[in-house]
Amino acid sequence: MAVRKIIIGDQEVEIPDFNFKIVPVLFVILVLWLFTGVYSVGPDEVGVVRTFGKFSRVAQSGLNWHFPLPIETVNTPKVTQVKRIEMGFRTLKNGQYRRVEKESLMLTGDENIVDAQMIVQYKIKDPVAYLFNIVGPELTVREAAEASLRTVVGRNKIDETLTTGKFTIQEETKEQLSAILDKYESGIHVVAVQLQDVSPPKEVMGAFKDVASAKEDKNRMVNQAEGYRNDVIPKARGEAESMIRDAEGFKQSRIKRSEGDAAKFTTVLKEYRKAKSITEKRLYLETMQKVLPGVEKFIVPDKESGGLLNLLNLNPSAGKGVSK
Amino acid sequence: MIKNITALILGLLILFAFSTIIIVDETEQIVILQFGKPIRTITEPGLNWKFPAPFQTSDTFEKRLLEYDVPPEEILSRDKKSLIIDNYVRWKITDPLLFLKTVKAVPTAKTRLDDIVYSELRQELGNHDMVEIITENRELIMNKVTIASNEETSKFGIEIIDVRIRRVDLPQENESSIYARMEAERKRQANKFRSEGEEEAQKIRAATDRDKTVILAEAYKQAQKIRGEGEAVALDIYATAFSKDPSFYEFQKTLETYEKIIDQKTTLVLPADSKLFKTLAQ
Repeated sequence: MAVRKIIIGDQEVEIPDFNFKIVPVLFVILVLWLFTGVYSVGPDEVGVVRTFGKFSRVAQSGLNWHFPLPIETVNTPKVTQVKRIEMGFRTLKNGQYRRVEKESLMLTGDENIVDAQMIVQYKIKDPVAYLFNIVGPELTVREAAEASLRTVVGRNKIDETLTTGKFTIQEETKEQLSAILDKYESGIHVVAVQLQDVSPPKEVMGAFKDVASAKEDKNRMVNQAEGYRNDVIPKARGEAESMIRDAEGFKQSRIKRSEGDAAKFTTVLKEYRKAKSITEKRLYLETMQKVLPGVEKFIVPDKESGGLLNLLNLNPSAGKGVSK
Repeated sequence: MIKNITALILGLLILFAFSTIIIVDETEQIVILQFGKPIRTITEPGLNWKFPAPFQTSDTFEKRLLEYDVPPEEILSRDKKSLIIDNYVRWKITDPLLFLKTVKAVPTAKTRLDDIVYSELRQELGNHDMVEIITENRELIMNKVTIASNEETSKFGIEIIDVRIRRVDLPQENESSIYARMEAERKRQANKFRSEGEEEAQKIRAATDRDKTVILAEAYKQAQKIRGEGEAVALDIYATAFSKDPSFYEFQKTLETYEKIIDQKTTLVLPADSKLFKTLAQ
């Protein structure tokens, strides 16, 4: 092996002169080593590069290069991917759901229990913080989400939770969860908090359903009564109308009849006046002709000859009564 | 021979140089120990150096936020109600040197955390009624527990960032009494709806009956008025006509009345000297 002499400062040092063939080999190794630093960042990722363990830069999507190990390392978290956490249930592989009651049953502010299921969607907003500040991002989100939901539901009453308050609870949970994750400087952004099924626990489901059917019963009873009203009132109006029409008919008939009677009277009067005395007699006798036939009548001779006392004897039945 | 020794020395030198280098990651912090005695900590990431082993060694600690899920514990509230509290802790090693001296490693640290947080939580929750724990004060309670626990854990080089109640549940036996109460409450509501329904229906029916009576009475009133008008007009017409000759009217009406009142059942006693029979009597 040859010795090469080099001068360091003013001293001459001998170092071994390597065989010339080793240089290309080393060169190839060097090149290969440099090539291991090539990496690609997907469109949904960013590259976070650490130089000697210290964060140095963020690389955007595309083909990139970093100084190879051990000088630089890179992580490529998926920053656009929205991750999903299910609470109170799990979607199974066959697309069905399994309830997780341990997670879904919770206390409301009025010391009732509800069964609430929730989905949390989150993504990375700060990849550097995400990588360097927290351990176990999914568990962190899950635990914080659970704490948030329960805190918020604990502030609400059961009826609100089951009905109108759902949206508010969702928003407040999201707010609180975001605040917690920011406090941890987790670099996680909460995209959405969605309350799924919020229902009474199955132990008391029957009673809750009965309330719903009681509501329906109430409506039914009211509807029936309305039906009664719709039946009775028009009939009464009809009856009223007919009473009024009857009266109007009566009025008209009364007037017409009186007019007729008056006209008859006036006409008769006119004739009567022509021959007062004879007409009077005639009318009298005509009436008598009509009235007297068929009527039992006694004609008493005169007032002096016994009057009514005599009359009694003429009566056949009275006579019999006397003879007995 | 000399060359070989030179090469060997050079190689050893290079090895030595490399073994003094330590890379500190963003997520780590390092304590340097000299013959097992901690002498300094490195928290800044990047390239650092130390004497090679066995002179100096290093211990690596997590710099990121650590989690600890405290197992659920049964705790009594001020109003002596038993609650099952499931909480978690987020903590950090802030002083790795102290941490190393006092608790050495994470599992031991978790045991300490458990003790401290549990006792603080028990103490704090004992100052609140169950309703407060469930509702408004949860945030406040957790903050207090965090602060109080921090005082204890700072002795171990640990900072507690957050103690959070994940779940507050009731023991199994209390749960069933809650269910019983919920059921009773719902029953009451259902009954209320049903009797409200009856009440409203009854109201509607009653109002209907009243309206019907009023409508008919109103109609009667109007009808009578109309009839009266008819009678009045008729009366007027009769009066006007008959007053032309009242005595003739009387005469005529008398004759008409005879026709009406005298029938088969009537017995008439007529004097012979009456107007009709005066001829007969002669």
